Amino acid sequence: MKRIEEQTHYEILEVSPDADLKEIQRAYDHARETFHADSLAIYSLFSEEEMRKIQAAIEEAYRVLMDEALRKSYNQSHSHLIERSSREKQAEKSVKSSEIKSSLSFTDLSIEVGEITYRGRSLKQIRERLGIDLKAISAETKINIKTLELIEEEDLEHLPAMVYLKGFLKAYARALNLDAQKLIDGYFQLFKEKGKK
Amino acid sequence: MTRDHHQRVIWTIGGGKGGSGKSFITTNIGICLSKLGARVILIDADLGGANLHTFLGILPPGPSLSDFIKKRVSHLKDVLIHTGVPNLQLLTGAQDLLNAADAKSAQKRKLLRSIKSLESDYILVDLGGGNALSVLDFFLMSDGGILVVTPEPTSIENTYRFLKSAFYRRLRQAVSSFSAKSLIDEAMDRKNEAGIRTPYELLREVRRINEEDALKMVEEAATFHPNLILNQVRSKKDIEIGFSIRSACQKYFGIQLHYLGYIVYDQDVGNSIRKRRPLVLENYRSKAAQCVSEIASRLANSHRMPSGN
Ligand SMILES: Nc1ncnc2c1ncn2[C@@H]1O[C@H](COP(=O)(O)OP(=O)(O)OP(=O)(O)O)[C@@H](O)[C@H]1O
Ligand SMILES: [Mg+2]
Repeated sequence: MKRIEEQTHYEILEVSPDADLKEIQRAYDHARETFHADSLAIYSLFSEEEMRKIQAAIEEAYRVLMDEALRKSYNQSHSHLIERSSREKQAEKSVKSSEIKSSLSFTDLSIEVGEITYRGRSLKQIRERLGIDLKAISAETKINIKTLELIEEEDLEHLPAMVYLKGFLKAYARALNLDAQKLIDGYFQLFKEKGKK
Repeated sequence: MTRDHHQRVIWTIGGGKGGSGKSFITTNIGICLSKLGARVILIDADLGGANLHTFLGILPPGPSLSDFIKKRVSHLKDVLIHTGVPNLQLLTGAQDLLNAADAKSAQKRKLLRSIKSLESDYILVDLGGGNALSVLDFFLMSDGGILVVTPEPTSIENTYRFLKSAFYRRLRQAVSSFSAKSLIDEAMDRKNEAGIRTPYELLREVRRINEEDALKMVEEAATFHPNLILNQVRSKKDIEIGFSIRSACQKYFGIQLHYLGYIVYDQDVGNSIRKRRPLVLENYRSKAAQCVSEIASRLANSHRMPSGN
């Protein structure tokens, strides 16, 4: 039982202190979706003021943990709190990860993280935050770099039609461990806005 | 299934609002467990609308708990109803147990002991939708309390109200000073004069008057792990709501909720109920039946693991 102000950035995002950037990104997406004004899961629970506090804490945790230098100095200045909470977590961790794994395999329906859609620019941002080179994405997805750049720049003029593009978007999103449907949805919107099919 | 230790596990199913699927889930999880080879007793403790017999296609009235209470039969096992499903028995009339006034709490405890001594591996109790104090107590004293919620604001609101009542009741039982107990009572009233709106504010107030009781509250929060089943899920996005509820509980109550799984919305559920044939027997291949059986096997696994828990 810790108030929001007393929780570490790791506790705010519900990740372990050794979480990698992909995990933090996912946790952040989940937290934003959960503590969003229209979120069903928080209905009747929090006041507006509490929500603002939580949202600010989530943004701050994300900002710090996604930045290597900031995270390092945060870890140092909060080492006492972080070590203790990671020891507390240790016991439940094995249980928890198996719980998550089996919940992912409930049925063929896959778990996804809410409503936010991604577009080219947000993709680029996330990739850069994760410190992944476009070349690495290209190697993993077998999509040439030029096409990946066009996707990030949202250059609809030079990109192939949506039917062909879909496969690329899917592969790229997967490489970043993001929900592919959100990227496809985001791109659909983009095409709609630009009046192109 | 290991039977040598003979530890029976009592799960209570409650919370949420009327019609969320508690009775459907209780019945069908019970059948799945019995098909796994366990001996299962279903207890219908819904104060207002006991109907597990209908889910099982059995005609009332059979023997019930009140026959035992009123000493018309001398052994509790004699009022168990055979359901036609191997290994599965039904105990009805348990609302009398929940209704028992506080004055008779010694009798209540004795009854609970008799229930616990019944020959079985699992006991599943359908608590119905209310949150009367005796319902909360039953929820808290069981080995695992399961909340059934649907992805609708009304259901979520009721679930949080139930959870808050259960949580505060648990805290109330844990603290020892009279002043802490009365603070908790006050906090239950939403418009309380002390202005306590959240569990943290309650904790702060208790800490002010009794440090020891505040520590006990923190301990209770850390060991309170209610379970959640999300029912009538209609989209992939709905599934995620279970995880979000877990996060919301962590932030609001500081408790770790266990998300047991979800069950899709499925026409076959209604069809099976109309036929008065349990879904997992009538239509095992339906999507909802698959979801239920997956949850049942997780329940079976979850209690086998932690022998030292
Ligand atoms: N997964 C599902 N898919 C479709 N329909 C469902 C599902 N679960 C429950 N229902 C429907 O909801 C109705 C209510 O279910 P049930 O009687 O189990 O709810 P309950 O929580 O026990 O209600 P009460 O609180 O009134 O006792 C059922 O008649 C059934 O038709
Ligand atoms: Mg019912």
